[in-house]
Amino acid sequence: MAKPDSNNFPPVIEMQNVGIRYGQGPEVLSDVKLSLKKGSFHFLTGKSGAGKTSLLSMMYLAQKPSRGIVNVFGKNVNFTNRDSLSMLRRKIGVVFQDFRLLDHLSAFDNVALPLRVCGMEEREVRKRVKELLQWVELDRHILDTPATLSGGEKQRIAIARAVINRPELLLADEPTGNVDNDIAPKLMKLFVELNKLGTTVVIATHSEKLINDFNYPRLHLQNHNLHILYPSSRLGGQI
Amino acid sequence: MSSQATIITRKQELPLKEDSSTLFLKVMISIAVFLFAVTLAGVMSINSMLQNWNQSILGSLTVQIMPINNVNKEKALEETLDHQARAVKFLEGLNEVEKVTPLGDAQLEELIKPWLGDGINIQDLPIPRLIDVRIKKGAEIDFMSLSEKLAEVSPQASLDNHKLWLNKLIKFADGLKMMAMSVLLLVIVVTSGAIFYSTKTSLGLHRYIIEILHLMGAKDAYVAQQYARRTAQLGFVGGIIGLIFAIPSIFAIARLAEQIEGGIISDATLSVTAWGAILCLPIFASLIAMITAYWTVKNTLEKMM
Repeated sequence: MAKPDSNNFPPVIEMQNVGIRYGQGPEVLSDVKLSLKKGSFHFLTGKSGAGKTSLLSMMYLAQKPSRGIVNVFGKNVNFTNRDSLSMLRRKIGVVFQDFRLLDHLSAFDNVALPLRVCGMEEREVRKRVKELLQWVELDRHILDTPATLSGGEKQRIAIARAVINRPELLLADEPTGNVDNDIAPKLMKLFVELNKLGTTVVIATHSEKLINDFNYPRLHLQNHNLHILYPSSRLGGQI
Repeated sequence: MSSQATIITRKQELPLKEDSSTLFLKVMISIAVFLFAVTLAGVMSINSMLQNWNQSILGSLTVQIMPINNVNKEKALEETLDHQARAVKFLEGLNEVEKVTPLGDAQLEELIKPWLGDGINIQDLPIPRLIDVRIKKGAEIDFMSLSEKLAEVSPQASLDNHKLWLNKLIKFADGLKMMAMSVLLLVIVVTSGAIFYSTKTSLGLHRYIIEILHLMGAKDAYVAQQYARRTAQLGFVGGIIGLIFAIPSIFAIARLAEQIEGGIISDATLSVTAWGAILCLPIFASLIAMITAYWTVKNTLEKMM
């Protein structure tokens, strides 16, 4: 799905012989090799416990590999200092499966978070956040805290927060899991539009329907290894 | 939407106001500023007192040679003058001394004239002989050791009592001042320690929020600034409360000191600069609190995440 001119850019994410283990336990991921080009769109699949969350958390720089090399936007995360990692994270939007919203903040303040940590001017923050909340049909809940919102509404806030800063890389963990059937296509359309504008997208999902509806390659985790399945080869096996 | 725009107010991402340590820190800083202000007033009073006293003992001193008792008056006088000569020789040998002048008979007569009247023969009286010693500018003399050395040279020689006593008092006041300075330092260390530990506890408490802020691209400084701002506010408010209690206390102590007989303590006054320094304490407390909190956050986050 990579765009023709994307070869001119370094991979957004590159992994070589990457392994992750927790403590003295066995490796959750082994010898992962991956190169995501700018503007690509992938689904991330695998059974529960296959290591999807670990792989995603490396991509959004919450975790460093136990071994191997991870380059994000061309920078080796093992040799990047804390402030530079923060600057890299500003280019990444993440939708967490458990939303990770701040319960004491309103929908507005939650969505505004990525803009405010960058030091954006408050007037611009208000303009952008209001527009986006209107787009995800949450403008009526602008001042409500997450505790008063439904699962689907919280998920839309989480998605709005992930895309508000027009990220270069968008990572989403089951982003349509809790939303109503009529909202899910609209959110997918948002991801596709962002992708068309150049955002690299990785969506972790269990939904076969979603995978079948959209013709994108699949990063599939099985037996602690990563396999890349292209639409035409889905039934045929792995590459 | 436009009606909502007016009621959107930015809420701090870290709800530090609701931390249980907020009240503790405010009370702690109030007490610290109270102690600091009273002690600082004490140090500055002692300072001004010391300056006054130092001026009065600098410059010159008097050595007296007690007369020798002997039935033979001439021999007694001769021996007394011999002691005086030894003392003069010793004093002249001191580096700090500029000039040594033993008072002659005429000068001594002048001195006792108001009490004994005219026409007395000084040599017939068993009165002490006096030596006026002028000290070099800027030279410091240890009166205690000088007094001891002088007694070795001549058992009849002794330093002017008042100055020796004042010198002892200066040493005592100096010690007191050092102690008060240690108290000031201790207050700063203890307060900074309390801020350090409460900030660390709060960071643990808000770990979840901080992790999310980091994932959104916040640098450690962004989190540290929120802590620094909050702690600076606490420091200032605590400082003002401490000062409100400290000022009447300083006046009360000054009032008590004035009542001491002898006018020793009345030399202790607080200058405008001293009052200025005391009034600036809330700002000082605020600054220390801010710097400690900022440093703690930066340092802890680096190790924590």
